[in-house]
Amino acid sequence: MTAPTPANPADGLALRIEQWRAWAPGLEDVAAWQAWAAAPQMRPDAEQAQPACAFLPTMQRRRLSRLARMTMDVAWPLCGEHEQLPFVFGSRHGETPRTYALLGEIVDRQPLSPTQFGLSVHNAIAGQWSILRGQRGESVALAGEADTFEHAVLEGAMQLAAGASAALVVVAEESPHSAYADWITDVPFSYAVALRLGRVAPAEDAQDGSDWLLRLRSSAHAPAVPDAERCAWPHALDFLRALLVRESSLEHVWKTRQWNWQRTR
Amino acid sequence: MNAPASTALQQEIAQLIIDTLNLEDLTPADIPPEQPLFGQGLGLDSVDALELALALQKRYAIRIASDDKDARRHFATVASLAAFVETQQQAACAG
Repeated sequence: MTAPTPANPADGLALRIEQWRAWAPGLEDVAAWQAWAAAPQMRPDAEQAQPACAFLPTMQRRRLSRLARMTMDVAWPLCGEHEQLPFVFGSRHGETPRTYALLGEIVDRQPLSPTQFGLSVHNAIAGQWSILRGQRGESVALAGEADTFEHAVLEGAMQLAAGASAALVVVAEESPHSAYADWITDVPFSYAVALRLGRVAPAEDAQDGSDWLLRLRSSAHAPAVPDAERCAWPHALDFLRALLVRESSLEHVWKTRQWNWQRTR
Repeated sequence: MNAPASTALQQEIAQLIIDTLNLEDLTPADIPPEQPLFGQGLGLDSVDALELALALQKRYAIRIASDDKDARRHFATVASLAAFVETQQQAACAG
């Protein structure tokens, strides 16, 4: 065993996408995502469609929000029955609908729902994952800016660098209430993307999945990125698109951070 | 059916439990009036109890004191909850 080497995103982080899974309204299997990746387009999201999560009994499903269901649906099959995996949950806006419901109750001078209150914190879904799957290892809940996806993958890569053989990264966002329309403009529709990250193994160890190098360049004095150069889709969905159409590289720029993805296998 | 028919209030409370606690796929018939709601019965826990107390207070305009020593007994089953709601409503009308 060699000691894990320190990882620095400026040098580039090598990681393997061993498996992926995603959910959005009407996009629930690989074929549907392949079609979306070939021609990305908006998805209707007014009906509040959500994954059934039928793998959970009713009593375990009762406290899962829509965002939590989306997370469980995509993460569930990527973790083996008796496996312990570091878990990274990334969401820029988190449980905004729960918060909005609580604020409404405060305005109406109604007592707050203990369930809504207790589960409105950002790490609630990571906690529910831990309970439902008996996961006792590390878990992290992140909220960043439009590049929350890259920060979540970075965190997962750090878990690999710290010795984990694999890590689970989920990025999930839910369409916010219309009251937020003027402020939240980066969630075209609700979606969740789960990636099972693994270490890049020697080439002869050929198996499914793809290898990537993620590099971060930043400049404190970089000019603001024109809107036209910003990614049209949330980074997690755009990465999934690139993964599925087998693009060899892509760049996601946010403010002074330039995230460069290079496919190496 | 040999089981005693549940009253309208009991059915209503069973439905309130289902709606409040988001018990998908269940119907009032799945929560018989005498089935324990907590522990080995339906399987509710203390957070459910808080949530349910809130919903009962809203729906029936009753008050449930947080230090009520009899709360455990009142919340035991749908039947005991229905009896408790009836008592509270009668007390409110009389008072």
